[in-house]
Amino acid sequence: MSIATISRLSSVVLRGVTGPIVALFRHWELIKLLVRRDFAVRTSGTSIGALWLVAQPALQVVAFWFLLDIVLRVRMPGRVAFVDYFLVGMIAWLMVAEVLNRSLSVLIDFSALYQRSQFPIEILPLIPLLVAAVPFALVYAAMLGWIVGPGAALEGALLLLGLAFWLVPLTYLFAIIGLFVKDLAQTLPFLITMAMYLTPIMYMPEMVPEALQPYLVLNPMADLMAVLHGLVMDLPWDAAQLLRPLLLWLLLMALSWGLFQRLRPHMREAL
Amino acid sequence: MSAISLRQVEKRYRLYRHGFDRLVEALTGRARHTPIQALHPISLEVEPGEVVGVIGRNGAGKSTLLKLIAGTMPPSAGEIVVNGRVTALLELGSGFHPEMSGRENIFLSGTIMGLERSQIEALYDGIVDFAGIGGFIDQPVKTYSSGMFVRLAFAVATAVEPDVLVVDEALSVGDGAFARKSFDRIMAFRERGRTIFFCSHSLYQVEALCTRAIWIDNGQMRMVGTPADVIAEYSEALAGVPTAAQPSLEVASQQPQGSASFRTVEVEAEGARGRTVHLLSGRSDLWVHFDFASDPAIGTPTVAMEFKSSDGKVVASVGTTHEGVHVERDSAGNGRVSLFYPRLPLLRGRYSVVAHLLCERGIHVYETVEGAAQLVVAQETLEQGVVTLPHRWEPRAPKQVAGVGE
Repeated sequence: MSIATISRLSSVVLRGVTGPIVALFRHWELIKLLVRRDFAVRTSGTSIGALWLVAQPALQVVAFWFLLDIVLRVRMPGRVAFVDYFLVGMIAWLMVAEVLNRSLSVLIDFSALYQRSQFPIEILPLIPLLVAAVPFALVYAAMLGWIVGPGAALEGALLLLGLAFWLVPLTYLFAIIGLFVKDLAQTLPFLITMAMYLTPIMYMPEMVPEALQPYLVLNPMADLMAVLHGLVMDLPWDAAQLLRPLLLWLLLMALSWGLFQRLRPHMREAL
Repeated sequence: MSAISLRQVEKRYRLYRHGFDRLVEALTGRARHTPIQALHPISLEVEPGEVVGVIGRNGAGKSTLLKLIAGTMPPSAGEIVVNGRVTALLELGSGFHPEMSGRENIFLSGTIMGLERSQIEALYDGIVDFAGIGGFIDQPVKTYSSGMFVRLAFAVATAVEPDVLVVDEALSVGDGAFARKSFDRIMAFRERGRTIFFCSHSLYQVEALCTRAIWIDNGQMRMVGTPADVIAEYSEALAGVPTAAQPSLEVASQQPQGSASFRTVEVEAEGARGRTVHLLSGRSDLWVHFDFASDPAIGTPTVAMEFKSSDGKVVASVGTTHEGVHVERDSAGNGRVSLFYPRLPLLRGRYSVVAHLLCERGIHVYETVEGAAQLVVAQETLEQGVVTLPHRWEPRAPKQVAGVGE
């Protein structure tokens, strides 16, 4: 690889990494307005309003806990209670699934804003991300405060926001797919569910058959979950499990941002 | 520095069979669409303070040109530079979020316009007041009537004075009093030397307001020049394209608020009075009677009228503004004025009367009634054409040819 290629590649990556962040800061007021509106619309007519956004995932925590710990009394060999392990992974996954599913339709849902007027389209994929990340971070903090101890609350919120940040390039990719590749967009919700089964969330990585264990490295979500479980519950994890998703993230940022900018002039007409 | 500068700007729309083709084309650069040329390359410089009117038939590419200048659509080729803040009154309220309240949409639009929160807060009361939305301001805009929606959209869009204003078709928005109010606001921009770029079917408005006119025909700039020149050429080209005249005179049931409307327009000749009269060319006298109602709070309206031949061409027109005639009206705002043509010089044919009711300056149109009345003109002589012009013949002695021998 020549020097020129390397420098060109690194500038693409740099643009990809800085692009969404710059957009976030430049249009912060606008993003705040849209996120707040989304909260309000989804809970309109209720008496406790935006509290429902936190109450919904919180109730799910209670439901899982009730099912696994009280009804099924699932017990696994190991240091940690299975229900705790399950909740740490599952609640994080629920956020991931919500962000990805909503990203698919975000360019269509908000089309009224940019179809016939000037609008910074590049902020739109960030809206479902923030709308999901904020309440889930609160619930996650409360949950870890309960499971691990009050000291883990802040750590929990930061970890979940970190995971959300990792999703940024995927929101852009999914938004593009939702607008331009409608057939793929129809199958993605199914693929997102499949990804959950292929990731050690409802089971522990050790429970994966020995022959299949090496293939877990192909799933960045499995890596991220291992890191999450490792940090929160003191389970073993290694640096490679953090490095692999980080490298992939850099690549995806460059790819998704480049693609988004390239397709931008076509978006109005694609509606 | 020009206010608007277009260099070889053109627009091709692309037709795709699937959304996927669009993606593939954007990624590979290989064309997978059927192009439609909406606008051929156009170059144009507009100086600050100019008022440019774009005329042309429907589908000629006027709106495309406006959208390109407004920046709501990218050009396929060429370069567009607009200096200063540009405000487009094209599809008003298109940037509104239907679920958001009027208040939130003001902040949303203001933020998109590049205003700080504190600036929007400073403008807020003025916007709500101008739009006249009142207690609905905290309701989602999807619950607004179309009138309220467009009033709010106009108030927000024009809350900050633009350097360049792009307007589609109507120089006024909404109906009745608001139409007048919005028109006055646009005129105030013009008087303060802002650049205005608008398209209109009203040749009259283009001629009255513009410093320059552009004629767009089939996606090409057919002519640029003074409004008088361009309109003359355009009208010439329009001749022979008949326009449908739909008689649509309804009697206003109530006093219009902040506006004015005709109550009746009647013609009278040869002892008959009504919507249609028969005349004899060069013999019959013609009366046209206008009866209107207006809000006493506004200035006294002015009246204008056109004769249109059956092929849709304007044969002659008159207006009280330009002739300095003051129209009388009573304290309730009702007014009448009559127009008299002695021995009507129109030649054989059918003519329709188009009546206009305008503001006191003769610019903003409150109402236009196409085919307000019909004239059926018969003729005893063999003259050809549409009108007998004032003339006289002078018999002269034959010119003496210089003799050879002198």
